[in-house]
Amino acid sequence: MSNLLNSLTTELRRGTLTLAVLSQLRTPQYGYSLVQLLEGSGISIDQSTLYPLLRRLEKQELVSSNWDTSESRPRKYYVLSEYGLEIFLQLKKEWINSSKELYTLLKVEGEEENEFN
Amino acid sequence: MNLIEIYIQEVTRRLPEKNREDIALELQSTIEDMLPDDYREDDVKKVLEKLGSPVILARGYRDRPMYLIGPRYFDVYVTLLKMILPIAAVISLISVIAEYFMDYNGQETVINVALDIMGYGIWQMISVGIQTFFWLTLVFAVIERTDKENDNQPLTASRKKWTPDDLKNIAYIPKKKAISKLEVFGNLMWTAIWATIYFYADHLVGIYRGGGNRFEFISPAVNQEVLLQYWPIVLIVICLEIVLAIYKLIKSQWTRGMAIFNAVFQLISSIVFIEILINPEIITQYFITYMTDLLEITANQLKSWIIGGAIFFFMVSAAFNVMDGFRKSRIR
Repeated sequence: MSNLLNSLTTELRRGTLTLAVLSQLRTPQYGYSLVQLLEGSGISIDQSTLYPLLRRLEKQELVSSNWDTSESRPRKYYVLSEYGLEIFLQLKKEWINSSKELYTLLKVEGEEENEFN
Repeated sequence: MNLIEIYIQEVTRRLPEKNREDIALELQSTIEDMLPDDYREDDVKKVLEKLGSPVILARGYRDRPMYLIGPRYFDVYVTLLKMILPIAAVISLISVIAEYFMDYNGQETVINVALDIMGYGIWQMISVGIQTFFWLTLVFAVIERTDKENDNQPLTASRKKWTPDDLKNIAYIPKKKAISKLEVFGNLMWTAIWATIYFYADHLVGIYRGGGNRFEFISPAVNQEVLLQYWPIVLIVICLEIVLAIYKLIKSQWTRGMAIFNAVFQLISSIVFIEILINPEIITQYFITYMTDLLEITANQLKSWIIGGAIFFFMVSAAFNVMDGFRKSRIR
């Protein structure tokens, strides 16, 4: 892949990452379990982006966190706050709408391409 | 084993003190999560490779901007820089020139002084430019970090979001009417030059003789004592010229008021110039004798040539200047 395509793809994905993370935090997750969940759904994620993102979401009060020290290894769990859930549902609606619009747009484009072939 | 600790240290040392411990602990547990139960150094390396460069990871954790001046202030910053840098440069050059003439002892010839001033002046302009650049940038970097409402929208005069109404506050300047900053600085420079010549005429205007690699100043052409009798009125002319230049800088286009001001100024300066020139004692006797010998004409012829010529050129350029001002102010 060319450099330009690479950076455009990264840009395209960056906005969706927040949505993907929020969607998986309805139940408490710690950093690595979240990575596994996302990768299980086929979403590859840059880990150096994910951990800072979780902290930012916490600072924005979309998620809350607490340390679980009951197991052998202490883990920091993150979960959606009430406010976070509200924001997540709205963001989800936005995403579905805009992807529908974009799909329609791209479908028309696709048909034109087929005519040329 | 050790690699993990070093990695965490490399990340946290780039972070603010208060977050370090928590992030270190979280990183530690995350890395251990990623490792198999019975791991070797190769496994550690693989995991750290996934996490990527500690610099990039630390950058993600920091919420301070990674730039000095962001989009909100950049435009204002560049505009101010463009405005202030030339002013600072010109002021520093003028002060260098002034300083030289304050200390002028009459021993050095003008050419040598001019070369000295050029060298020192350029050096001084560069250092003042660097100073100005540094302080302005510092001020903006501080504002960038202290502005709580920073939403990265460019700053407008009203400090609100841009609306088409903002355009009404901006004067539309047709190209033919515009006064460039260069022109204003040219005006100021000219003022500085002729004022210097006026006050130091006995060192500057006169007969030179080239000898070896130095120019030798033999005799002044004008009578400095007579010339300096006019200093209060000359000072007024200098002040008027500076006021006119600043007025031009602010308005940056010709207006009717400015054209009238310009006409009055040209009239006053012409009267003063002619008044000084027709003073019979203004030219030194030595100069007259020297020149009449050189050109083989009579003293009266020489006087009328010099004075008549100077007055003629001054009047023509003043008249042209006044007309040009009125013509430009009328352009719509």
